[in-house]
Amino acid sequence: MSAIVEVAGQTGRLLLAGQFDFSAHREFRQACDEILASTAVREVLVDFQQVDYLDSSALGMLLLLKEKAASSGRELALVNCRDTVRQVLEIACFGKIFTIR
Amino acid sequence: MKVLLADDAEVVRMLIGRFVESLGHELILAADGIEAVEYCLAERPDMVLMDMMMPRLNGPEAGRQIKAAMGAHWIPIVLITAVEEVNKLADAMEVGADDYLLKPINFRILEAKIKAIERTVELNRQVREQAFKLANYYDRAEEEKQVARHLMEQLVNRERLSDTQLHTWIAPAESLSGDLIAAARTPGQVLHLVLADGIGHGLTAALNVLPLTQPFYAMTERGFSLPDILIEMHRKVRQVLPAGRFVALAFVAVDFAKRTLEVWNGGIPELRLYGESGALLKRWPSRHLPLGIVSQDELELDLERYRFDGRANLVLCSDGLLEARNAEGEPFGAARLGLACAGYPAGEALARSIDALQDFLGDAACHDDVSLAIVDLDPDAALPLPAGEGIGKLPEMLGEVRWRYELSLGAAELKHLHTVPLIMGFISQIRPLAQAHADVFLILTELFLNALDHGLLAMSSDLKSGLDGMEYYLQERARRLAELKQGRIDIELTGHDLGERSLLRIRVSDSGPGFDHRWLQEPDSTRPSGRGIALVAALSASLRFFGNGNVVEACYLTRPSH
Repeated sequence: MSAIVEVAGQTGRLLLAGQFDFSAHREFRQACDEILASTAVREVLVDFQQVDYLDSSALGMLLLLKEKAASSGRELALVNCRDTVRQVLEIACFGKIFTIR
Repeated sequence: MKVLLADDAEVVRMLIGRFVESLGHELILAADGIEAVEYCLAERPDMVLMDMMMPRLNGPEAGRQIKAAMGAHWIPIVLITAVEEVNKLADAMEVGADDYLLKPINFRILEAKIKAIERTVELNRQVREQAFKLANYYDRAEEEKQVARHLMEQLVNRERLSDTQLHTWIAPAESLSGDLIAAARTPGQVLHLVLADGIGHGLTAALNVLPLTQPFYAMTERGFSLPDILIEMHRKVRQVLPAGRFVALAFVAVDFAKRTLEVWNGGIPELRLYGESGALLKRWPSRHLPLGIVSQDELELDLERYRFDGRANLVLCSDGLLEARNAEGEPFGAARLGLACAGYPAGEALARSIDALQDFLGDAACHDDVSLAIVDLDPDAALPLPAGEGIGKLPEMLGEVRWRYELSLGAAELKHLHTVPLIMGFISQIRPLAQAHADVFLILTELFLNALDHGLLAMSSDLKSGLDGMEYYLQERARRLAELKQGRIDIELTGHDLGERSLLRIRVSDSGPGFDHRWLQEPDSTRPSGRGIALVAALSASLRFFGNGNVVEACYLTRPSH
């Protein structure tokens, strides 16, 4: 998986691509640290447009990001979730604790 | 480095030897190929410098023999050669030599070459050392995995899965499974089934699901209900697992006698119910977050209830099954699973599903743990009510009272205490009742619920009839219990010694206005409420109502010990 950080104004976008699973651990954490280090960012968007698969380890990483974002007062949303990704998020009922757009 | 130098010319040995020593290396000298091979085996030098042409055995052949004798231990060999011998070099390097030096020797080049070889030797040493460490590490990890697997198997009580109504299959992606299937019966013969899926797979995932097993088995055994066990499992997961870890879990409770099903699904693919004809009767998609994410009071405990009349199969599986991909990258999916198992008896449905998955995957391997459970919801599988005969008549004298247990509960306690499991905790310590837990649990449950529901809450059993009757009854009951201001239930248990048998007297009284209990004593088995008291009557040696029906006493006789 690759993770690209784009910061525009108050919005930090985390563009993920490929398979989001345990092997993506390092890239994801680095990208998260980078985006949260930017003091201008008030809202973090995790963009799943290019993600074709995610597993339960990925859900765990999203939970950790949520915690970090919340503790520094940032909004967090999961965006552009397509078929498989949406399905996994739905089964885990992540809509109850995440903003999914 | 230890350097072996082989040359038949003493002048060359002196010249190159001095130079090698001046670079700080240890020197071993050989005068021909045979000596070179001999010293190599005895001294194990780090590198060999050798003339092409030597008496008795030439350089290339000596090099071949050295390489053959050293096997996996790598010794770099550098041949020293005159320009006119260059065409033989290719052959020599194919059979063993690693490099060459042209005569006359350029000492600047020789020094550089020795340094280059020194680097390669060092690299080689590190690789070998790491390979050795890795091999050791691998062996230790395998051994630890063995121990872990053994432990896991003990903790998940694999043998308990051998329930007549349950068919299960788990295929771990690695040697340990992060999927868990656990099943056990309550003392009242309600089947509790859990299918859980921890994050990832292998040992870490297996460790995630382990905290579930202890509360599941311990509390099911004592007759706790599904929500209580769920709360405890959630507490355990939150307490034990680090942040970002959670366990997806489906929990099912099947009461075969009442033909009811309770389902809680947090993060497991939808549970499906297939009728005998293969029709899809009902689906239970995930409605809750997996365990371990939200705080204790945010845990949603609302269960979905279902009443089954005909025989049907309840199918549960982890996402590893639906997501298993073949060589073309296609997932197995729910449709293929449905096709394989719908309309077949549970055991066959399981076997067909496993076959279908294996056919589908071909040579491709699963990348996640796979688990599948099928419950055979057979209305006839309810254990028949125990026959009254054989219990024997109550003796005239009850004999000496060996122990007495009294409990008196006011409205506040009735709202939150798990009364029956509480008493069962005591009963389980009484030796003469060791074989009678299930019976005692049933009698206590029925008498206690009778006192609470009908005595204090004035619930009418008629509420239970109708399609949504049970659901409505339970909601209404919860509402009335929450509003209960006063009332008391007294429970008294005494144990009597009758020689080879023991007698347990259970007396339950409530402060309610009482009710016409005569209809309870001529139970109508078609009425859900009558079933309970009929069961108690069948299990007990005597069952009597006193007063307005707000005092009831059952005497239970243990079976003669053999």
